[in-house]
Amino acid sequence: MQKLNYRSHSLVPYLLLSPTFIVLLLFLYWPSINSVFLSLFKQAPFGRKRIFVGIQNYINLFQDPAYLNSLLRSTLFIIFTITIGLVFSLLLAVILNQNLKGIKFYRVIFFIPYAISPTVAGSLWVFLLNPVAGQVNYLLDLAFNIQVNWLTNSFFAFLAIIIATVWKNMGFNIIFFLAGLQAIPDSVYESAKIDGAGAITIFKDITIPLLSPTTFYLIIMNIIFSVFESFGIVDIMTQGGPADSTNIVIYKLYREMFINFRPGIAAAQSVILLALVIIVTIFHFKYGANNVHYQ
Amino acid sequence: MKKTVLLVLVSLCFIVSFSAAAEEVTIDFWHAMGGHNLEVVNTLVEEFNSSQDQVEVKAQYTGSYNDTLTKTQSAVQTGTAPHIIQIYEIGTQMMLDSGIIMPIEDLGKEVAGDNSFDWDKFLVPVSNYYTMDGKLNSMPFNSSTPILYYDRDAFEEAGLDPNRPPQTFAELKEYARKLTIKNDDGTVERYGFTLGIVGWFVEQMVANQDATLVNNDNGRSARATASNLNEEAAVRFVKLWKEMVDEGIMLNPGRGWDGANQAFSSGRAAMLIESTSSVAGFTENAEAAGFELGTGFLPRPAAANRGGVIIGGASLWTIADHPEEELKATWEFLKWLSEEEQQVYWFENTGYFPVTKAAVEREMNNKFFAENPNYLTAFLQLLLSKKAVSTQGALIGTFPEVRQIVEESVEKTLEGNMTPQAAMDEAAERVNKSLKEYNQLNE
Repeated sequence: MQKLNYRSHSLVPYLLLSPTFIVLLLFLYWPSINSVFLSLFKQAPFGRKRIFVGIQNYINLFQDPAYLNSLLRSTLFIIFTITIGLVFSLLLAVILNQNLKGIKFYRVIFFIPYAISPTVAGSLWVFLLNPVAGQVNYLLDLAFNIQVNWLTNSFFAFLAIIIATVWKNMGFNIIFFLAGLQAIPDSVYESAKIDGAGAITIFKDITIPLLSPTTFYLIIMNIIFSVFESFGIVDIMTQGGPADSTNIVIYKLYREMFINFRPGIAAAQSVILLALVIIVTIFHFKYGANNVHYQ
Repeated sequence: MKKTVLLVLVSLCFIVSFSAAAEEVTIDFWHAMGGHNLEVVNTLVEEFNSSQDQVEVKAQYTGSYNDTLTKTQSAVQTGTAPHIIQIYEIGTQMMLDSGIIMPIEDLGKEVAGDNSFDWDKFLVPVSNYYTMDGKLNSMPFNSSTPILYYDRDAFEEAGLDPNRPPQTFAELKEYARKLTIKNDDGTVERYGFTLGIVGWFVEQMVANQDATLVNNDNGRSARATASNLNEEAAVRFVKLWKEMVDEGIMLNPGRGWDGANQAFSSGRAAMLIESTSSVAGFTENAEAAGFELGTGFLPRPAAANRGGVIIGGASLWTIADHPEEELKATWEFLKWLSEEEQQVYWFENTGYFPVTKAAVEREMNNKFFAENPNYLTAFLQLLLSKKAVSTQGALIGTFPEVRQIVEESVEKTLEGNMTPQAAMDEAAERVNKSLKEYNQLNE
């Protein structure tokens, strides 16, 4: 009797895990496996005809200058958004970490961009950057007498989506930096001050190292954000243009699937993207983790 | 006893209402008409539903043309496709190859056995576009073409004759130069001309020179296998585009329609090329802004043959995989839409062309064209177009992709990375590759 009870209990963890597992299986593993399978075919629109092509889709992709260019663009995009985004967020988080009257109100203000949808964010920036009626050009004109063609020039369009993405994700980064900052005990700062450390030294040698677990986490999250979630902003602001300058991999993939109707090559792109994100994350865990200091 | 009678009565009521409901056939109609046009579609559908009690049409807005096509693809694969879908003109070849459609002429003649329907009632340029293998494949619905819009007051100011819009490429450039106002500090106050980067305009400019976009008679006599984008007609236009932007007499508002529309409406540009479906909007706007709107035909190079414009917009396709009874009901609705009354309503409320001769005649008799000369420009340009494969429009299986390729090439040219010829050579090569792959899959 006792034994039977024990046995039936051993099923309980699996039973409790099963909802999560079913959801993962249906919505994560199954589609992923399916895209690997799809990437080995060429398929006509409406799925009327399907030809097995093996790894030909992958070969074509890596021989396609437009795809290689897109990979390069995406890499630059990720590096810039993460560097600029994290530096700005950290500075703002330090400022917001003070004990001022109404500071909670300011914190909320900074978090708002993260809470609005990418479509709204994109549209806002399109208005702001409008060459004729936009506020940004109006101010630039007043201050320096220059007018920038934000979204019709390759360089500025690329800059524009970086600015918009940084702005959009800043709220998320600030919240985590704030939490990290508040977790650093005052005693550490106090003893540093007693030892005669200046503000910059404290920031450089105490705050930054002690924040490294947060930074480490944020880098991974930001890679994922800028690879996958920048889609909405690109779609609204530039649609990959002008001349492919903002055609980052996730947007190219979308166009291949939903405008060119080529599920095979789109699936191959998503598999490559998945592999790249996994590789970067593993590398980051392996080498980045050495610089993380836990208290 | 009373109870029994009541029970019988009640159940009779149920049976009667139930069977009445069962008699009514429900038809799903997916369309891509958003904003103001959404209401116009809904009004038409409601009118149809209340005009009879056999068919109930359920209209659903499914996003952009592209979204509608995507949704149809997945619906077909899960067996939940609607009866009628609105597909943009560039999806025509894809629909023909899809294997899921029923040509509208087969639907009317064979399934519904309707012998009274006049298949010649449509405007020739419109039915030409959707006629393949000698039969009409989809029901023409919303049709439009591009025309030149200009600010008549600005013309007078610049010493130009407002009754003589530019007719050639050279004139377009010359006029734009005169219409451009530059400030002392070098910034441009008003550009002479603007044009959104939209592949459609390149297609139209090619047709206007009586040239084809792809080989095999624009893909009409056999599947297209090669693109003509790197030939004179297209290159000449892209070259003009670049020269005018470089000279600072034409505003490049970027990809899409909105930027150019804003620039023209706000007086930042004195001329623009846009769809005829915007006539009403621009007229209203010009009145509000206090200038008089003028319209003209698309300009073309002096040396080129006179071609014409291709009908743009979208048409209604029937999905074949439905019971016969529902297909018949589908036909009833489509037939009703093509009637004079509905066509006139559609035209006056959306600005899209009426697609039947009767509706045009009625509008003429009503002096509509005399009172709205800008609509007359649109019609005359369409009706004066040469009847040829060039203006019949290209059939390309991967047309949406081709449009994107063209837009990218124009951008590359305008940015100065490539000469017009080099950019269009690259575009042609990419289109050829895309055609080859498509043809392989659809033999």
